Parts: sequence; structure tokens; C-alpha cells
Amino acid sequence: MKKTTLSILFCAAALSAGAQSLDRSQRPKPGPAPEIKLGKTESFSLPNGLKVFVVENHKLPTLAVSIQLDIRPELEGEMAGYREMMSELLLSGTKNRSKDELNKEIDFIGANINTSDDGMSGSSLKKHGEKLFELMADIAMNSDFKQEELDKIKTRTLSGLEASENEPDAMLNNVSAVVNFGKQHPYGEVANKETVQKITLDRVKKYYSSYFRPNVAYMAVVGDVTVAEVKPLLEKYFGRWAKAMVPVAKYSDPKAPSTRRVVFVPREAAVQSVINVTYPVDLKPGAPDAIKARVANSILGGGSNGRLFLNLREKHGWTYGSYSSLSQDDLKGTFTAYAKGRNVVTDSSVQEILAEMNTLRTKPVGKEELQNHIVNMSGAFAIALENPGTVAQYAINIERYKMPKDYYQNYLKNLAAVTAQDVQSVAQKYIHPDQANVVVVGSKDDVAKTLTRFASNGKLEYFDPYGREIKPAAPAAAAPANLTGADVVKKYVAAIGGEKVINSIKDIKTVSKGSVQGMELTVTETKKAPNKLKFVMEGMGMVLQKKVFDGNKGYEEAQGQKAELEGDDLEEAREDADIYADLHPEKYGKTYNLKGIEKLDGNDVYAVEETSKKGKATNYYDVKSGLLLKTVQSTENGSVIQEYADYKEVPGTNGYKIPYSMKVTAGPVVTISVQSVEVNKGIDDSEFQ
Amino acid sequence: MKRKAFSILVLGALALSGSVSAQSSKINFVEYDLPNGLHVILHEDHSTPIVAVSVMYHVGSKNEDPQRTGFAHFFEHLLFEGSENIGRGEYMKMIQAAGGQLNANTTQDRTYYYEVLPSNQLELALWMESERMLHAKIDTIGVETQRKVVKEEKKQRYDNTPYGQLLSVVYENEFTKHPYRWTPIGKEQYIDQAKLSEFMDFYKTFYVPNNAVLVVGGDINIGETKAFIQKYYGDIPKGTRAIPRPTEVEPEQTEEKRVNFYDNVQLPAVILAYHTPKLGTADNYTLQLLTQLLSQGKSSRFQKAIVDEQQKALAVGAFAIPNEDPGVAMMFGIANAGVKPEELEKAMEAEVDKVIENYVSDEEYQKLRNQAENDFVTQNQRVAGVVQNLATYYTFLGNADLINTELELYKKITKEDLKRVAAKYFNKNNRLVVYYLPKSMENK
Repeated sequence: MKKTTLSILFCAAALSAGAQSLDRSQRPKPGPAPEIKLGKTESFSLPNGLKVFVVENHKLPTLAVSIQLDIRPELEGEMAGYREMMSELLLSGTKNRSKDELNKEIDFIGANINTSDDGMSGSSLKKHGEKLFELMADIAMNSDFKQEELDKIKTRTLSGLEASENEPDAMLNNVSAVVNFGKQHPYGEVANKETVQKITLDRVKKYYSSYFRPNVAYMAVVGDVTVAEVKPLLEKYFGRWAKAMVPVAKYSDPKAPSTRRVVFVPREAAVQSVINVTYPVDLKPGAPDAIKARVANSILGGGSNGRLFLNLREKHGWTYGSYSSLSQDDLKGTFTAYAKGRNVVTDSSVQEILAEMNTLRTKPVGKEELQNHIVNMSGAFAIALENPGTVAQYAINIERYKMPKDYYQNYLKNLAAVTAQDVQSVAQKYIHPDQANVVVVGSKDDVAKTLTRFASNGKLEYFDPYGREIKPAAPAAAAPANLTGADVVKKYVAAIGGEKVINSIKDIKTVSKGSVQGMELTVTETKKAPNKLKFVMEGMGMVLQKKVFDGNKGYEEAQGQKAELEGDDLEEAREDADIYADLHPEKYGKTYNLKGIEKLDGNDVYAVEETSKKGKATNYYDVKSGLLLKTVQSTENGSVIQEYADYKEVPGTNGYKIPYSMKVTAGPVVTISVQSVEVNKGIDDSEFQ
Repeated sequence: MKRKAFSILVLGALALSGSVSAQSSKINFVEYDLPNGLHVILHEDHSTPIVAVSVMYHVGSKNEDPQRTGFAHFFEHLLFEGSENIGRGEYMKMIQAAGGQLNANTTQDRTYYYEVLPSNQLELALWMESERMLHAKIDTIGVETQRKVVKEEKKQRYDNTPYGQLLSVVYENEFTKHPYRWTPIGKEQYIDQAKLSEFMDFYKTFYVPNNAVLVVGGDINIGETKAFIQKYYGDIPKGTRAIPRPTEVEPEQTEEKRVNFYDNVQLPAVILAYHTPKLGTADNYTLQLLTQLLSQGKSSRFQKAIVDEQQKALAVGAFAIPNEDPGVAMMFGIANAGVKPEELEKAMEAEVDKVIENYVSDEEYQKLRNQAENDFVTQNQRVAGVVQNLATYYTFLGNADLINTELELYKKITKEDLKRVAAKYFNKNNRLVVYYLPKSMENK
């Protein structure tokens, strides 16, 4: 009785005390730091040399297995890209199982198996563990590569390359790899269409039989298992994996440049640039200053609390994100600082990146900033340990990279001991704003010229998307001083027949066939003077799009939905409908500025900048013939490139010429060729209702 | 010698296959309500010295005014601006400087906030989440800042991402009445129009303890954690307003709908979207298995037939979105270069028809059960996952223990169920077909 009363009283007191005395402005202090224990790893080797690391974790009845090959394979050379294909081919069947059988058996036990060119990983429930070992062993030692499967992957790879050819980050990565490492180093090898075409099945087979060997393999087994359970199973399934002499290739020893190079990768009509400041570094896993270097990188650009992010995004709003990395690698590490931003802030972004790199070298980091990064990294270390695979990986790293045995045990202690002086001295060792490759993918016209000031020799080097050096497109030669943009347009008008001939056209109907990604299109365009238009695009047996304008009003129809033309769309239709639009560009607010003479497919062309309400476009007119060959229009949503060829006289017009073939690139490529043209047939106004 | 080796092998095999202990994978937790209506779930697991703290508010885009789509997600952003005791922009910094990670996300049905930290920072995380619930800083500066950020996010993640508008297009056309007809990112014009007073109103209505569940998991002591929760959440007043839930019932669809949508993509995609029953119903579980049958793993129907054998698609997928109200099961394929969307649609339809017309084989049936078991067990690998699953099961199904028992519901599904449910929902009148096409096919 007494006891109960007491405890009720006590509770009430505790409650009311809590309610009254809580000062919410007081930020709670952390409790004592928890002890971070690395799980235990047990290891053993099979007679064939396979080294196995087991981490027991009985939280869930699951199992995860990984195999990592410690190899230095020969360079891919002219067949660059074959290693990646091999990794896909590993799941296309073995000598014991067809592709279908293999896939079926993996899925049947609800497992996942992933492969790479230097290993594989798999996971399943523990009760299916034996099957998982059996399947992974079969893939590791009995893979059977078929020409038919290689061909399928080749086709996919080629269309993938085409899709990424104009993708800025892919371009940036390719070129950075090449300028940092060169072709005599595996990190500098880049696949392109030619190298992919050359890949042979024999080469893939040879790679597999040379390098997929147990004596160069580390295996991690983590999950609800014990060594006693695992060992006999591994002996059963991996014991027969035959060891062999595995060749070790020698590579070049890439060095950071001795001065600052600026490498420019032109991307047509780009509105944003992507930037890397990058170079190779000698920083091996577990090196004495590896932890200090990680702290330095975290401060510079490790995440949303890094200086690059705080400067370029938070302070200036130039980019969505800017980060740096300083990788530790047994072969060769890399430093990279990255940003992506609009054309006009490209050079400022490069400048701020270089300035932040410099500041880290010259000024000691403040106490609080340093402490925040250290605590953040400590937390990340603890959180990563939740995955038992992390512990197994640490054990493998120590063995593979010959790291100090207690590296991870002492990681947090050593991390906490990093000082401002340490950060500054590793920054001076590894962060080199003046001996770096500045790689920029962007607009040649708007951006390139702003970057020369960063190059030690004042010159830009030009590369293509695959890292091959190209000659910079010849700078626009000066056009004759007395020639204006408007003159070039007049020459063009003369070249397609002249004012009189154009004015004699009262109506015109053009039927064209085209294709986009294998789909066939029929486009019919009808115009009648002064300004009536009908445009119909058909494909897949239906009308995909229709646009009609009667001189005053009009509508657009797509997928059965009809919308009246309004505003800008109405104005655009008005211009499109005008057969004589080229004769009076001023009517549509167009002005022209002749920028110079450039080369286009080996021919001299006038580059003329056209400015109108729609924005800016560049038109290229052939110097000799006067004909319009290409226009490039940049918009917010990307660029539209139109190329014209095969100009021919339209029958019955006394010399009116139009391009009979046209190519439009706006993402995917559309090609169109004219099938028939009819003029002055007296098209009835009712067509345009 | 030989015999000995043999027996070890057998033992090993037995040990592996025989020792599945259901006990070891059971997720233990305690749950209770505070007087203000806040539901609390605690899960103790000392295997790693970290904690996950999360709050799930039962409000999502389906609670929005149709003239303010995107509001719930916008609001989620606002709640990182700070509170009466946390300075602007400090939220992220404080958690990072405590060695933690944090994030939040909004769906049609709920808004979810979470942090993962070393376990000695538990009190900090509980305090920060309670500040968010009690008196978040909602002011003009925050609204204007986040308006820009949300619009930037919309551009990056939806407008300028290939197929980024896929879900919006499907939901907009699939639903005519129910507020699932828009998606959480909403429309830019409404993001522009959202006003401060509306945010205050939203906060008072939905961000109340009686509309939330607080879940804490990891290296915690239950007693101590309860005391912290009492300290920081005990004095948060219960919401005084009625919490509105959408009452619109989507009318049954009676004929097939077809839509062409144009975007900046390289290759056409085909989407077949079917109305489904709500989360937690037997048919909904069956539909989950059916989507697995179609697209999980390389031996799945779509993968094998359409991607590998016929090479009509670069990628395929099928999934039933776990909506609280009746939702959508979606199948999609991205056509290979040169393949017309019609051809791809036919190939997909042929596979769907097979499921309706024929029973799955015993082997395939067992595969589905094995996959479901694997997925069910592995969803609890990380404490952050456990915490989120507990919150989700509680919020939508009112039963957090489904984290331990839901597999039984999958195991009840028979081959007959698969065929019957496929026939019932995968019929033409119940579906929407979207052709997601490159813009170049729209203009000349």
C-alpha cells in the first residue's frame, strides 16, 4: 500500500517536474560515446589458394557472398570495352547450365547474383545458401561464352554509346580518364564504337580463363553462418576451381601535369558546362596520411557541408551541387573537384574551385569546422558497420593492400587526433590547383574563350567525347569587311531562286517521308499565300499531329485533343505559313549578325547569328553556293540542330530550290526526305479550316 | 578419411538448410500512445551502436486542395527551415555535426522524416523532431527560399529526367475523381501560389501528435527512451481540429483509356496501368506476386520473353504501388531502337494474357513464394528499414506486427488466386495505356 502511493507520488512529481522545467532552448548534450566494436572476422584458405573471410551476423537468416579478384590484367587496347562485356556474359550460361536454366535457378531461390570484370557478389536466405554457393562456383569456373550472346550485348552497347555521346557527364568522365591516365594505363582506357566493334569472343574467353582463378581471389562470406558450416560447402563447390599462373601486367606510371592544362570538350549548343579539376595522385589505401587526406577532402568538398558546396551553391547559387573526391587506390589515386553550371558562370566556377583548393593549402582550418567534419566522419564509420559486409571488406583490405593490421581498430582514434596543421600539410601534399587538368565540357562559342586564362601556357587543348585530341575548329576567319549578315541572307534568297521566283509561288504542297528510331513518318505540309498553313504528321497508322492556320486563327491537334493556337504559337504559325518569310525577315523581328567564316564538313561557311523573339540561333550558309546548310538553336530544354542537303529545283517553278533531305537532332535524330512537291495547283481555302 | 570428409559435408549441408530459426529474425518492439495521441513504437537492437529516429505524419498529396497540388511536399521542405529553438539552416548542420544522416520524403499518403545517428545522440534527435512537431519556423523567408528549391528539384528530378513524368502522366489519366489524380511534386503554378497562411493552417491541421507515429530503433534502452519521449513530446498539445481524409471514391472504369505523351526521351516507352484494390486486401497481396511473376529476375516473364528472346525492349518492369486507397498496378517497357510502341504493347499484352489464361507451373509458383520470403526478410536488414516498416504497417494497416507476420498472407495465395486476380484486374476496360514518346515525334 505504502509502496504504491509512493510510486504514484514519485511518478506525478517526475511528470510535473518534466513539464515545468523543460527548457527547450537547451540543445541536448550527447551521452558518452558508444564503444564501436568491429565484428570478428575469421579466415582460412582452400588448397587452391582461395582466401575466405567469414563474418558471423545472426540478426537475420540471410547470407551474402562476394568474390574479389586481385589482378592486374593486360590492357584492353584496341578492344577497349571487352572486360565490361565479359562481366555481362558471365550470367549468360555455363557448361552445366544454359542461360535460361541459370537464370531460373537464381530466381527460384529468390537470390541475387551480380557480376563484374573482377569478381561477383550474391545474396540469399540462409536456407538456400548451399545453392547460392553452387551457382556462384559454376559461374566462377565454368562460364561458357557464346557468340550469339556477345553479339546481343554488342548491339546494346553500341546504342548505349550513341545515346551517351552527347551526354555531358559521360563525356567529362571519358576525357578526364584519358588526360589523367593515358592509354597505357587501365584507368585511361575508354571504349568507343570502333573498339567495341573489334571485340572478339576469343579475347573474352582468354580474359576469363586467365584471370578468374582462385589463387588471386578473396572471398567474403557474411551472415547467419559459422566457419564450421561454411568451410565444407566451400570445399565442395569451390575446391575444384583450378589454380593457375595469373599474368601480371605492367602499366605506365601516370603523373599529374607539371603546370595547369585546360582541356576543352566542345558540346554543340550546350547551355550548361560540366567541370572537373583533376589529376592522378599517389595515395594508397592505409597510407600513413590516408585518414588526414580524407578529412582534408571532406572539408573541401566531401558533401553538403563541404566548402565547394557552401561556396558555389549556397553563396553564389551557380550550381545544384559541387563536390570533390580524393581516392585512395593501390594502382593510382585521383583527385577530382566537380561542378555543373550555366555557361556564364563556368569560368567563375573554375576560379572558385581553384581558390578553395588554394585556401585549404594556405590557411589553417578553423577549430569548429574541423571538429564538425571529424564527428561527421566518425558517425559515418559507425553507421557503415551496420552492414556486416563492411567488416569483411575491412579484413580483405588489410590483407590485400598490406595495410597496418590495426588500421580500422584505430581508425576513430586516429581520426579524432587529426589537427588543423595535419589538414594543411596533407593539402599541400595532395591538393594542387596549379598542377591540374581543368576539363570542361561545354559550348565552344560561349565558354571556351573564357577559360584560356586558367591554362599555364594560355592555350586550350581540344578533345572529342572519347578523349581523342582534335584540332580546334578553326576560329572564325574574318568575313569580308563590307559583307553583313543581311547580305548573306540575300545571297541565300538568290541561291534558292531569287525574289521573283519565290514571289511567283502561290501555293505549295510538300510530302515527305521520315523516320525516327525506326518508326516511319509521313509529313504533309501545305501552304498558300499570303499566310495559310496546314501541317499533318502521320505515323503508326494514325495522325500524330496536325496544325492548321487560316491566316488569322488556327488550331493544333494531337492525340485527338484540339487546342486553339494562342500567343507565341500563333505568331510562329503566322511565320511558318508565310511562303515569302525569307524575303522580309524584319516582319518577324529578325536581325542578323555575320560572325565570320568557319569550316563545316570541309567547306567554308558563313556563320550568321540570327536574333528574334524566340532567342538566338546560328545559321551556316555555304560560301560558294549561298545555300543554308545548318541551323543550331539553343533553348531552355536543350538544343535543336537542323541540317539541310540535296537542294533541288522544284519542277515547274523556274528555279525554286528546296532541300530534299533534312536531318533534325533534338535528342533523337529525325531524318526526312521529300517525296513530292506540287506548286500553284490552286489549293482551295477550305483546306485550311 | 574419405568417409569423414563426406560426413562433414553432409553435416554442413544440414546445418545450412535446417537451422532457419524464425526466432532470430523476429523484430521485437513495444508500442504505446501518449495522452496527446502520439503513437510510439520502440525497437531495441544493440548489434550496432546507432539509432534511427523517425516520425511519419499521416498526410500526403491526397490531402491537398486540387488548387494547391505539391503542397504537402513543399511543406516537408519548410520543416527543415528550423524551429523556435533551431536556427534557420541549422537542422542539417546539427545532425551532420553529430555524426548523423537525415532526410525526408512525401508520398500521396504520408510524409516521413528520419535521422540515423550514433546512439549517444538519441536525445538530440528526439529533441529536434519534437521541435519540428511543436513549433516549426514557418515564415515568409522560409517559404520563399523553399519555393525556389522545390521548383529546382522539380526541374532536375522530373522535368529534365528521362521518363521523369511517367508517374504523373499515369495518375493524371488513371484517376478522374480521387485525389490520386495528381502526384506529390504537384504543379509549378500552385507551388508559386502557395501562401504563408495556408502553410500555418496545414501545420495546425495535420502536424499534430494524434496524426503521427514516432518510431525509434537501434541501440537504445527502452526505459530511458520512454523518459526522453515523455520529456520532449509529453507537452505537445493534441490537435484540436478534425483531420480531413479524402472521401472521393474513384468510379469504376468501364472502357480502356489511351494517351500519348511527349517528352525529352530517346526511346518510346509503353505503360499499361490497371486499377487495383487498396493496400492490405488479399487481392492487393496477390497483385504484388503477379508483378513479381512478370518482372522480378531474369527468368521473369517480361524479362525473358520481351527483353531477351524478342529483344523488343531495353528494359521492362511491373509493380503495384502500395497506395492506401485503391491505386495502380503498372507495367512498363522501354522500346529498343527501331521497335514501334505497338509491337512492344502487343508483346506485353501477350504475356499478361498468358497469366490470365493459364495457371503458373508448380516451379514458378514456388519461385514466387521464395522471392516473397527473401524480400520480406531482407527488408529489415538495416535499423533504418525496420523503423520505416514499423511506421508504415502501423499507419496504413493499423498493425505494426505485420513486420513479423505479413509473409503468412503471401503464403496463403494459391495458384487459383493468381489466375483469378489477374483476370479480374488485368482486363482492358480496367486499364490505361500510355505511349511515352520522344518529342521529335510530336514536331516536324
